[in-house]
Parts: sequence; structure tokens; C-alpha cells
Amino acid sequence: MSYLDKNIVELHNLLVEKKVTPLMLATEAIEKAKKDPNNAFETILEKEALEFAKTLVEPEKDNLFWGIPYVAKDNFSTKDILTTASSNILKDYVPVFDATVIKKLKEAKAVLIGKTTLDELAMGGTGTTGHLGTTYNPYDPEHKYMVGGSSCGSAAAVAGGIVPFALGSDTGDSIRKPASYAGLVGYKPTWGKISRYGLFPFAPSLDHVGFFTRSVLDAAYSLNLLQGKDYNDSTSSFLPNEDNTEDIDKGIEGMKIAVLKPIINSVHEKVILDAFDKTVEGLRKAGAIVDYIDFDEDLLNAIYPTYMVISCAEATSNNANLDGIKFGPRIGGENTYQEVMMKARTAGFSELIKRRFVIGSYSLFKDNQKYLFLRAQKARHMIVRKINEVFETYDAIYLPCVAKVRNPFEGGYSDKLSSTYLVAENHLAIGNFGGLPSISLPIGLDNKFPFDSNLTAKAHEDKKLLRIAYALEKITSLKDLSVEKVVK
Amino acid sequence: MQEITLELLKKCANNLMFDMKETEYETLLHEFDVLTKQMDLIGKIQGIDDEEEMTFPFPCEVTYLREDEPEEPLPREDVLRNAKDVVDGQIRLPKVVL
Repeated sequence: MSYLDKNIVELHNLLVEKKVTPLMLATEAIEKAKKDPNNAFETILEKEALEFAKTLVEPEKDNLFWGIPYVAKDNFSTKDILTTASSNILKDYVPVFDATVIKKLKEAKAVLIGKTTLDELAMGGTGTTGHLGTTYNPYDPEHKYMVGGSSCGSAAAVAGGIVPFALGSDTGDSIRKPASYAGLVGYKPTWGKISRYGLFPFAPSLDHVGFFTRSVLDAAYSLNLLQGKDYNDSTSSFLPNEDNTEDIDKGIEGMKIAVLKPIINSVHEKVILDAFDKTVEGLRKAGAIVDYIDFDEDLLNAIYPTYMVISCAEATSNNANLDGIKFGPRIGGENTYQEVMMKARTAGFSELIKRRFVIGSYSLFKDNQKYLFLRAQKARHMIVRKINEVFETYDAIYLPCVAKVRNPFEGGYSDKLSSTYLVAENHLAIGNFGGLPSISLPIGLDNKFPFDSNLTAKAHEDKKLLRIAYALEKITSLKDLSVEKVVK
Repeated sequence: MQEITLELLKKCANNLMFDMKETEYETLLHEFDVLTKQMDLIGKIQGIDDEEEMTFPFPCEVTYLREDEPEEPLPREDVLRNAKDVVDGQIRLPKVVL
């Protein structure tokens, strides 16, 4: 019997009732991971996971994560476990400490099954740029459509029924967009709510730690576990922790939700629009007030270039330590240390990463800063200010996640900068600009291929956001999706 | 702003301590063309020049002082574990002074 397409709460109940053991779950997860056809794994931790699971004998009723198998994106530091960020420059790097979130999951006795693939250094959105090659969408056995990125392996592992929970990171939409292609709940909290200590930095002013689950309630419990002040992360919030499950089922009577007209107007796929309209109707029936509101289109068109300039500039600086000296491959270089670095970095980074570093570095040159980096920072401020004005009246912004249910590898959205700009494909970065809590959850299936919508709320209102998402999930009844369930 | 040329991009890549293939520089040149056009459009947004730059999503205050407690640093063996060429507890590189 298969257990791993169940959610965390269901598995916890089975563990407490001793109908299943952590060892049984870990064994099933490892077997499934070894047969994974989607290239979701950098490392499968068979020996470590089974040994740890064997030590878990007496269930802990009040500890939801006890014995739960999970995976982590391979840009989280894991002590004594290979951590590559799916880049050749870190292909043999073994960290000497655990990221705070890994430590918390270890203390909760969750069982780490493996480390998952990502777009190299988390700097991509296609799941195609990792050093092990393309990660595929479990819903597409023909491998024509993306699972998205950069948290591609984590999304594929949960959708593929290998684990019920996966850690990811989100700098532009790297959890919330793959969640749509994989039919999962993808959550990114308020910036600072979950510690980033031990997450390989991409662009720290935009980076968030988040996760994939199969239900909104699982997401609320996961946030309860992972949130909290961490003195190892200077940007970690001092605000007190909340119980994010409390009142989650109290409904949304009187809450106000905004749909941004220019974004919904740029979506043309009927199946998405029909499902979205149906959920709006459901939200209204549940007592919420849903308004379609105007928003400055020029600002929405500014999102992607603003994101590119800021993220590339920060990434250039953050990755300067990848030099092939302290860690990483020593390719050669007999004469100077510069030669050592040059050879390691030329061989260690893929084309996309190099292009992004050059864009970032060029944007920071003294002569170009005003026109590129500082202008992008001004645009970011204006976008966030205008979005926060929306939150003066509304509790949440509600939008489709993507413009198209399926994104093909050939001829679809790519990581190359293009003048063909789609607001509907890029708006999720607003949540990173403003550090806003943001959640994607399934709203429809198109011929057994899932797609999500997204809810975003004011900073620090994670609890309210989860309550609205929980109400939306009740309306759609689309929870606990996995390939096996949907295909059957 | 500096004019973007292939030579400038090559110099920029070399300053970042890597090299790229000729075709990759061509792709990059095209991307810069797209990016600068988009940044031009941002420059035309009313009031953009009066906006303050945003460095972080919201103010992030760090107002505490750490306790003055001694901590054990990472053992040297751990710190050096990922370096490929270590001699006598130090990372070996080509001589700087010959």
C-alpha cells in the first residue's frame, strides 16, 4: 500500500495510531526516489534516512513532523551532506553546518530523504539549467512541458508522490510558479519570518525560504514549525510567532479581495479564466467582497526588468566567493591565483549564470548605476508603495499564477531576456519586492494537468492569508493532489 | 551610461574572473538591448526620479547587542575540508612573489 500521496496531517495520524512507522515511510520514499523518472534528485540519502527512521520508535502525538519524510532543495546547507546548488562549481561541496530550517526539521524528527535539483544557483525559472540537466514535470510523461523553477526538484518530488513536504527558496517566484505547474500549495512567507541562515544567497533583498505542501493546513503547520527569530540571520524578524492554524477555518465573511485588472486581462487561456471566475464566485458566496481594480500598467511592465537588474546585481556580489580556492573544483592554473579562479569560474558556471553576472556587474558600474541599478530600486519602491496602497483597502490580492497551464520546453517561456513581455507570467515577483506573504494553490485541471492561482497579502499578515487560502481550498476541493491521484 | 559593446562585455566578464564563448557574448549583447529599452520605459514613468531607492522590502531594525559570550569557532580541519590543495593547514596557491 502506498502512503506517500497523503498529506502531513494524515500521515501524522497514521503514525500516532501506529498503522505505519517512520521506517516504512522512509523506505517507501527512498524506493520511489530511486525510481523517479523526472530527474528530481541531486542526492538520495538512503543510508542516512533509513538509519534515522529506525531510531524513531515511539510516536510523538504533539509533534506533527515526527517521522515525516521530506526533501530539501540543494541550496540549503546540510552538514556532512553534499550540497551542490545544481552547479558544477559546487559539485563536490560538503557543508560543515546545517541551515536553520534543516536544524528545525531535524529537531522535529522529520526524515530527510534527499536533496533536490534546482536551476543552477536558483537563478532560473525553467528547471533546465541545473548541472544534472532538465527536471521534468511528473504530470507530463512525454517530457514536453516544464515543471518550472528554480525549485524544480522539490516540486517534482511532492507532485510525484515521493514526499508530502519539500523545502524550496523563492527570489522571484521560484516556489509559487512551479507549484502551479505541479498542482501543489507553494508558500513564501513574509520576508524575515523564516530564517535564511544556511540558504545559499542569490539576492538577499528578495530571497525567501518557503515550501511545497499538498494542503493549506499543512502549509500553516509548516510555517508554525519553521518561523521564528534567528540570531544567525540579521534580517530575521523580531515579531512574535503566531499559531497560523488558529482560526484558519473561521471563514472569510466581510474580507475584501482585489483582482488587478491589467493582469487578469493579460491571461487569455479560457480554462484558466473559467476556473478563476468560478473561484471568484465561490469567494463571494463565502462572504468575501471581490473587486476588480485598476493598477498602473507601466508599473506592472516594470516588474521583470526591475527584478532582473536588482537580482543580477545582488547575485554578482554574493557569488564572488565561488572561486575554486576555498571550495569548488581546482581546474588548473599554474602561474597565478587569478588563473586558478578564472579557470574554476569559466568551467564552473553555465552560460545563463555568466550572462546574469555580467548584467549585474554592469548595472553596478559607477557610470551605469543611476540608469540601471538605482532606477530599478526606485521602480521597486514605487511598485511596492502602490501595492501597499491596495492593502489599505483590501485583505488580499487574488490572481492566476501563470498565463498558460502548460509551458513547453520548445518555444515556451525561457530564461533569456525577451521583448515579448507577459505581465501574467511575471507578476509574482511583486511578493518578493515587498517581502509579502504569498501562496499558490490549485484551482483547476486541464485534461489532468493542474494549475494554481495565487493570493498575496500585506507584510506580516501570513495568518490572515492562510485563512483566506484555506477558504479558497474548500471552494475548489482541489487538495492533496499527486500524479497518482489525478491520473487515476 | 557607457555604450555597450562586445569588447566592454568581454572586459566585464574578465573582471568577474570568467570567460565566455563568442556566441554567448552575442546573446548577452541582445539581452542588453532588450534590457536598456525596458529601463528606458521605466525612466518615463511619472515621478520615478523622485522616488527613493528601495534596498530592503521594509525597514529591518537590528537594535540588540549580542551577549559577550565566547564561542567555539569551526575547527580548522572542517574549514579546510572543501579546499582541494591544502598543505600544513593552509590552502596552497601559485606564488604571488617570485
